[in-house]
Amino acid sequence: MRITKHPILDFNRGKKITFQYKGQEITAYQGETIAAALYAAGIRVLKKSNKYKRPRGLFCAIGNCASCYMVVNGVFHVKTCITKVKEGMVVEEETEKGDIID
Amino acid sequence: MRNKAEIVIIGGGVIGACIAYNLAHKGMKDIVVLEKNYIASGSTGSCGAGIRQQWGTEMNCLLSKKSMEIFENMNESLKVKRDIELKQGGYLLLAYSEKEFKQFKENIKLQNSIDIPSQLLTVKEAKEIVPQLNIDGVKGATYCSTDGHANPFRVNQAYVEAAKRKGVQFYTYTRAQDIVTQNDEIKSVVTDRGVIETNKVVNAAGGFSKEVSLMAGIDIPTKSERHQILVTEQVNPILKPMVMSFSYNIYCQQIPDGSFVMGYGDPDEQHSHNIKSSWQFLEKMAKKSTYLLPFLKDIRVIRQWAGLYNVTPDAQPILDESDKLKGFFMAVGFSGHGFMIAPFTGVLMAEMILGERLSMDIKLDVKRFEHDRLILEPSVV
Repeated sequence: MRITKHPILDFNRGKKITFQYKGQEITAYQGETIAAALYAAGIRVLKKSNKYKRPRGLFCAIGNCASCYMVVNGVFHVKTCITKVKEGMVVEEETEKGDIID
Repeated sequence: MRNKAEIVIIGGGVIGACIAYNLAHKGMKDIVVLEKNYIASGSTGSCGAGIRQQWGTEMNCLLSKKSMEIFENMNESLKVKRDIELKQGGYLLLAYSEKEFKQFKENIKLQNSIDIPSQLLTVKEAKEIVPQLNIDGVKGATYCSTDGHANPFRVNQAYVEAAKRKGVQFYTYTRAQDIVTQNDEIKSVVTDRGVIETNKVVNAAGGFSKEVSLMAGIDIPTKSERHQILVTEQVNPILKPMVMSFSYNIYCQQIPDGSFVMGYGDPDEQHSHNIKSSWQFLEKMAKKSTYLLPFLKDIRVIRQWAGLYNVTPDAQPILDESDKLKGFFMAVGFSGHGFMIAPFTGVLMAEMILGERLSMDIKLDVKRFEHDRLILEPSVV
């Protein structure tokens, strides 16, 4: 779901784009964050906790916590709540702590 | 609260808990440990968690080697509930000058003479152990594969639980306020929760060793200084050994959970009990570590903290009974490496307190500072 009308804010949506999430095509608007687009598409679980593999979703939404870390175009630990979505992005759930890419 | 004890140990860190456990293990009864905060709330819980046997003095080498042997069997010997997270990924020490490398050669000779499996490495060999290492300016290295890391909180807790099973009484949030003496003998320890009659006291107060000694009228040459640390987020294992340099002044290690723990010693740090974190440390630490290990640039720092080194003039601890006050024992001044030598320190202190023959000859008496016969530890961060 997306808010279309707001008493104070105006929403100037960018153009429609698509990106990949777990092999599935998701539609988003340019200017949205990855997490916002996933949330709008009904996806609530963004990652699993490291130790006990418990579900983690959008939490702080301002880039402070580590709850929305995902693998974006092969890069681990991307804060999807503050990273804008781009056409053709490949977004995956983190299944491990992640490797550092040099 | 008990009003009488055979011995009162001041400090619930790893040193105090380990001494308590070893005393109880040897059959001593009525042991009380006083801790002004909670277990591991002082230097133990804020330490860098490394275990190194590559030292430059015989005492530090022997204490750390014997302690590593205890760490290796600790899960079984203390019947721990939670694994102590021992990781023996080695320590890689880097020399940045010929002079430093010469010192390393002497250290290796000493270490090998007491069966520490350390070795001298060329720069190329060092790079083979840590392929990501920036070797600019490195003249040589040493490596000991059995050095490593353990979780200080779990080790401390393991000693506390094992000691409790043997009847030791721990009083947390209980502050020692005074040590009452009469005719050079200890009569009692005054706490903020009551008085405990006793003839024996152990000063295991870490960063507050001087203050506790002064309660008994004994002055000791220990000083406290802040050392800061930061920790990063967790990533898959990439760095096996602790990478360390004395001249470049850094230590950095990936601990078993995947985070990196690192620090350096600030030469301008004043003696104090300040344990605040600073942005200056964060900035300098980030620069230092990313120069040495460039891949760290993509990893986020998640937390910083600081703790106290309790330093002596020769960077070796004081393990002794006071010659001025009978029954006043000291296990203090560990100079930044108390955690790694705690297990064997506890054994030695228990033997000393019980008047047994020590299982190792030690030259760590408090009088060494009066007689100017110091052997300076050259290898400290």
